[in-house]
Amino acid sequence: MLILQNMDHGELSNAFPHHQNQNPTTTTPPSLKRKRNLPGNPDPEAEVIALSPKTLMATNRFLCETCGKGFQRDQNLQLHRRGHNLPWKLKQRTNKEPKKRVYVCPEKTCVHNHPSRALGDLTGIKKHFCRKHGEKKWKCDKCSKRYAVQSDWKAHSKTCGTREYKCDCGTIFSRRDSFITHRAFCDALAEETARVNAASSINNSTLGANNNNNNIIGYNNMMIGTSMAPHHNNNNNMATQFASICNKPIPFTEEATNNQTTTRGLSLWMDHHHHHRQEATMATNNNNYHLNWVFGSKISTNPSQDLSSNTITSTTTASLPILGSIVNVPSLYSSQHQPHQTCASSSSANMSATALLQKAAQVGATSSDPSSFLGALGLKCSNGSGQGQDGNNNKFCGVYGSSLVLTSSSNNISTEPEKNELSQMHPSKRRHVMPNEESGGGQTRDFLGVGGANHHLPPFINQSLDLI
Amino acid sequence: MHLSPYKKTHFNNNIPHLHHHHHHHIHDDDASAIDMHNNTTTTNSTSRCSSDSGEPCEDGKWACKLLKECAIAISQRDSTKIHHLLWMLNELASPYGDLDQKLASYFLQALFCKATESGHRCYKTLSTVAQKSNNFDSARKLILKFQEVSPWTTFGHVAANGAILEALEGESNLHIIDISNTLCTQWPTLFEALATRNDETPRLRLTVVALSSTTVSSVMKEVGQRMEKFARLMGVPFEFNVINGLDRLGELTKESLGITNDEAIAVNCIGALRRIEVEERESAIRMFRSLNPKVVTVVEEEADFSSNRNDFVQCFEECLKFYGLYFEMLEESFPLTSNERLMLERDCSRSIVRVLACGGGDEQNNNDENNNKEEFEDCCERRERGTQWCEKLKKEFSGAKFSDDVVDDVKALLKRYRGGWSLVLPQQQQQEEGHNSNYNNNTLSGIFLTWKEEPVVWASAWKP
Repeated sequence: MLILQNMDHGELSNAFPHHQNQNPTTTTPPSLKRKRNLPGNPDPEAEVIALSPKTLMATNRFLCETCGKGFQRDQNLQLHRRGHNLPWKLKQRTNKEPKKRVYVCPEKTCVHNHPSRALGDLTGIKKHFCRKHGEKKWKCDKCSKRYAVQSDWKAHSKTCGTREYKCDCGTIFSRRDSFITHRAFCDALAEETARVNAASSINNSTLGANNNNNNIIGYNNMMIGTSMAPHHNNNNNMATQFASICNKPIPFTEEATNNQTTTRGLSLWMDHHHHHRQEATMATNNNNYHLNWVFGSKISTNPSQDLSSNTITSTTTASLPILGSIVNVPSLYSSQHQPHQTCASSSSANMSATALLQKAAQVGATSSDPSSFLGALGLKCSNGSGQGQDGNNNKFCGVYGSSLVLTSSSNNISTEPEKNELSQMHPSKRRHVMPNEESGGGQTRDFLGVGGANHHLPPFINQSLDLI
Repeated sequence: MHLSPYKKTHFNNNIPHLHHHHHHHIHDDDASAIDMHNNTTTTNSTSRCSSDSGEPCEDGKWACKLLKECAIAISQRDSTKIHHLLWMLNELASPYGDLDQKLASYFLQALFCKATESGHRCYKTLSTVAQKSNNFDSARKLILKFQEVSPWTTFGHVAANGAILEALEGESNLHIIDISNTLCTQWPTLFEALATRNDETPRLRLTVVALSSTTVSSVMKEVGQRMEKFARLMGVPFEFNVINGLDRLGELTKESLGITNDEAIAVNCIGALRRIEVEERESAIRMFRSLNPKVVTVVEEEADFSSNRNDFVQCFEECLKFYGLYFEMLEESFPLTSNERLMLERDCSRSIVRVLACGGGDEQNNNDENNNKEEFEDCCERRERGTQWCEKLKKEFSGAKFSDDVVDDVKALLKRYRGGWSLVLPQQQQQEEGHNSNYNNNTLSGIFLTWKEEPVVWASAWKP
């Protein structure tokens, strides 16, 4: 299972024999400032190569011993050597390169300068060196963003200006700076935080290790996990992040969606600027629990919980076939990993992570009555407080319900157009199931946070149900 | 000579433009009666009163002409003419009309106050009215909308943020002293930049010196909360403070601003220096220096109401030219029936009254109730040009050039707006102004935002 693989990778880094000191040259532990695709955990048997900057950036590293001509790639060199009509023996490569090579970054202050964090790929180290320590020669003329690596720049130019940014309040922006400024002052932000604060107290009282809940969590973990693919480069990640925020630019094919969400998922966790701050805000177990659920496998804070949720994963798959098909609906799925507040910080994974965490924290607060929602979905649901009886329904609620709750804070919401947003679909939904099962009527609230059967549901949900 | 659509050109037929006014018939007769100039040159399509300094308005539009006539009459104390012109302007003016009518309306108010020496009273009334409708929501809406349609303010923000980020690079404890009226709209993008930097996100403290005490109480509190929330979202350790200190800016100290020794200081002055009384500006700059900042960013609007403050007509012309440009810019940037534009225009009316009708010792002495300077929320608003500010700032600081990156960022910003805007570097601007400039200034710092090739905003960075 991919999750486990990824986990192993993460675990390996901790168990790595050479890792006596994880961060020789950085100010924060790598686990806190992990970049998206945690590089630099090489095979202990590999030969460590330290090239000078000049050699590293030399374009023609592969030299023909016969004529001295240089080539960028080994394959090209081999092709060329054929032309020398060498005797058979010499046609073979003299050195078979049995040893795997890993490369360290020549920049002394860099974390990858230490052999324990060497990178296994020469192209990778070249790009890394350029990106972090090189001169940024390539500039996007639309937004004047700079890149040191030409391929990064090209990839960015393709998507620059095509993105749209949508705030929780429904306004769409084509310019990132005005989006950010708007977001900072937007009432939606104020509401979210208010709900977070209100939520945290309720969170504590409703945490329970209910199996059903685990199922849902596991399910979502699985959903996230299976589609998780390791890393891509910066551009891909940025693009995918934005894609999930955007209304249109990137086509939401099933695969693409999954890839997007997973890379985001990984990046959210790994690109940790302020993981420690997030931890601070995640005061309760409850929240961590959410984290596990939200971020799938790569949770560095609670490895134990991580494992548990992962194991649960496999058991739930079978029990939720319907959800599987629902999930594959691109629009739903893409938005599922789309926390509202991602919009705000969209430019980096850090923001999304914080946003997701805040979102996750909120979920508990908004205990809600899934029956109204399910009613709107056209599904049956056991009513009242006995929500927990029908496992499937609960899971439905888990998948769909709380997002609606989260998006609406109070009666005010009913007038806002946000219901139409895909961004309302939110992963941290399942949380509300727990309060339903445990509490009596006391805490149940309509999903939208308004009393009564107020079915302000995004129209797309009904549409998607048709697909089921 | 390169023919630019924005530059003044020499046409002989400006008269057809007047047909657009429905009250043209009234104006025509009177115009010929009053017209004291042999008007053979005009601008081709704008109502902007563009003119070289020192020359009367040669514009074909009626508002500028009438207004100037009136100003001259006032300075000459020709009461018949004053009455006549005031009456005419009153007939023609309207704050809801076209550009000429608006200019006429707002400047008429100032001229009337000047003529009747009721400037202070009028200003107080206008301020009180404005304060009543001053709340967070409306202020936010106004400022954000303005920033969306025009780079007038965002130009300074981007330049200042760029300079601040570069100057404070590598520091882990930042403290920004924000002396401005931007309601912190400058800072979200800075938070984002800080949070997405490759290195450790530094701690940021922001101390806002509010330019008016009413804003402090009603609006800044809310602004502060939003900033705190947003900084949390961005993952930037953040602390926010507001103090009201513009009236005693020169007396602020490290202690009163809460500056600690381990912090790297940036002083951000947007539209603030002009609100300091002219005589006290140098001491304010000295105060900045005493804080030992890593960088001081100054953004001001490009107009000179200060060197000519004792010459009413000259000051009036300068005022008319600047606000004419501003109103024209507003008209072209906002949609036709924009409430926000109306609000901004009304804000101008207070400034115009303040500059034209509230200056001078006589009036102030006459108004006993107004001895307390704090009555005036916006102080004098006597703008100065970049060159003039440079003269003052050079005594305590040395100009820091904006890096190529920042310049590129600003250019990219301007591209995102409708046409007409461009960035002009100091050496280019000096060439432009060379023949007019009274200042033998070889080292003009800062960059200019120009609209239709007229410099309107000046942004600069300074280091000790």
